[in-house]
Amino acid sequence: MSDAALARSDVTTLARSALTRSRVLPVVDPLVALLPDGGLVRGRAVSCRGTASMSLALALAVQATAGGSWLAVVDLPTFGLEAAAEFGIPLERVVRVDPPRPGPTGDTWADVTAAVLDGFDVVVARVPPRLGAGVARRVQSRLRSREAVIITIGPPATIAVDAELHATEPAWEGIADGWGHLRGRRVTVTSSGRRVPRPRRAALWLPGPDGTVAAIT
Amino acid sequence: MLTVWWANWPIVAAGATRITAIVLAANRVVACSPSAAAAGVAIGQKRRTAQQRCPGAALLDHDPDRDARAFEPVVRAVARFTPRLEMVEPGWLCVESRGPSRYFGGDERLAASIVEAVVGAASPAADDIDACGLGVGIADGRFASAVAARVAAEHESTRTLVVAPATSRAFLAPQPIGWLHQTGEADAELISLFSRLGLHRLETLAELTRAVVADRFGPPGAHAHRLACADDDRPSLAQEPPVERTVEQVLDEPVVQLQPLVFLGKRLADQLVADLALVGLSCTRVVITAETEFGERSERAWYRAAGLSAPAIVERIRWQLEGWVNQPGGLASGVVLFRVVPDEVRHDGGDQLQLWGGLSEADERAVRAVTRLTGLAGEHAVLVPAWQGGRLPADRYQWIPATTADLTESRDDGRSRSRQQHGPYPGSLPIPSPAIVLDEAVPAVVADKEGAPVVVSGRGELDATPATIVLGEREPQEITGWAGPWPVDEWWWDERRHRRLARFQFVTADGTAHLVAVEQQRWWVLASYA
Repeated sequence: MSDAALARSDVTTLARSALTRSRVLPVVDPLVALLPDGGLVRGRAVSCRGTASMSLALALAVQATAGGSWLAVVDLPTFGLEAAAEFGIPLERVVRVDPPRPGPTGDTWADVTAAVLDGFDVVVARVPPRLGAGVARRVQSRLRSREAVIITIGPPATIAVDAELHATEPAWEGIADGWGHLRGRRVTVTSSGRRVPRPRRAALWLPGPDGTVAAIT
Repeated sequence: MLTVWWANWPIVAAGATRITAIVLAANRVVACSPSAAAAGVAIGQKRRTAQQRCPGAALLDHDPDRDARAFEPVVRAVARFTPRLEMVEPGWLCVESRGPSRYFGGDERLAASIVEAVVGAASPAADDIDACGLGVGIADGRFASAVAARVAAEHESTRTLVVAPATSRAFLAPQPIGWLHQTGEADAELISLFSRLGLHRLETLAELTRAVVADRFGPPGAHAHRLACADDDRPSLAQEPPVERTVEQVLDEPVVQLQPLVFLGKRLADQLVADLALVGLSCTRVVITAETEFGERSERAWYRAAGLSAPAIVERIRWQLEGWVNQPGGLASGVVLFRVVPDEVRHDGGDQLQLWGGLSEADERAVRAVTRLTGLAGEHAVLVPAWQGGRLPADRYQWIPATTADLTESRDDGRSRSRQQHGPYPGSLPIPSPAIVLDEAVPAVVADKEGAPVVVSGRGELDATPATIVLGEREPQEITGWAGPWPVDEWWWDERRHRRLARFQFVTADGTAHLVAVEQQRWWVLASYA
């Protein structure tokens, strides 16, 4: 390799040059087709809606956390740890934060979320329904500058999201009138929104018999 | 070689030597003031242990930048003796002592003058500072002089220790093997292995032959052996670093602000580490140089036995430049040249010997954020998972305050907080587990198709087919599938705590499934498969 003395260049250009991390956090294969860039774009948000919203959010976070990113869970005291572990999220990198005494426009939620964005790559959060627009802008700009990802459970309110993932037509397997046990759930996940001009669909196990998300072949 | 080592520098930097204070990083003690040490607080302890030993102590956050800024005057003071100095971290630096020793009239005189200069620089405005923890040692080689400095810290009167030339090996012989870890030259696992094999002192390690040690323990073991024999006058685990790996930047316009220089430094550091990593090398010593238009120069060597990662190099660039740019009098002109030279490299066999047990950049960021969040939202609002074990979903994993957990522990002993080490809990339901676990069970009403409540027998058998379920305050929903019972009979030997309940899975018409339990004819929703 030749001498690394760089050509004369402007320092400000260097300051703005891309950092060495990748722009997109990876997701597991079955979900790649549903997301606009094939993964979770840093600095953006997606939302999960419907009856399988929590499982969807867990499935989205698996690949990134398994690869070393930390996950913060904001305002979701019912986050199921065992299910998360079954999906493949390493629990030693999970932290839950409960914002105190929600204010009318969600100020405390925003303060906590902004501090969370400083240290965590992936944030799964419930958004206060009446989050003020100015407060949301502050969170959004912190999200962009820290290059983290927000996955909301339920309506994203004033937080702008790239895509909304909706699980419909849930069908549980393995259970009937008094026998068996819940083995797995088939759903159809539809992805729509700002950055998804034509809605995309995928038929998935969410979760499948092994506790993870899988495509239905 | 002369080493200046100030054990509890973070405390001195925070100005807390006279009070009882503890500095914590990631819930572990990094430094403590003399009064806290007297109470039994030691470096490396967990936060809770330290608080138990010394409940009234002030708890301070570890702030390496503050430590570096406070240490700059000390570095400048030592630099007056010889400009060729090498820093490891704030509080620990070494200099080549042969030349200055001749000039200042001998090793003892040199050491004493340096102690005086250091104490004088650390306490500006004639503030009487407690020099407890400061030690200056002179010996052959970096490792021996570091150990000498640490031993010297216990000599309260002189704070110096001079090991006569060529006697370093004899000096090191009776010293405990733990010094290798304390100076960052070997990781905790290797030292623990040594002591389990009966190698408690450096002399017992030095007595073995190098080839045998290298064979059994690999390159880290051979490195430790070389240090124990005091053979490290010239680094030889290192290779001659190829000159073309130097990264430098010549600037068109002189730059006076710190921030753009640090950005530039980050780019250079990333490039350097990447270049070296491509050929399997890791850098243990860098020389960072910055020069202004008018020839003012800041050149300093930085050493870290475990290897310098890119973030570590950037941190040191920031420390060095901040100290230089903000020195009394400031700089006369802007910076036009910036250079990072890898001075010592070693093979990076993929094993990262790191002092704090292998924390990545993401880990460190998260741990710092947790500390800030705990201050923002309170100790009980920032929680981490802990394995507990149990049949009911809310029992199996618990949420515990992050301040009581060691967030970095998992790396040392293999994820003891997660479930992987424990098999499936007897009596638990099979995979998949519910994604929503209620911390307080919600009452429910289960009725048959006539609307009469379903009664459960002693063995959990239902007297009628369940048809509708009311969850909490919601509308009744049709049950489209159900399974159970999975009885639980807990604490049957304890009359007060005896619990008998039966678990069921119900699927409702909208496709959601719930985990419901019935206890004494009362139904409760425990969790939902959402």
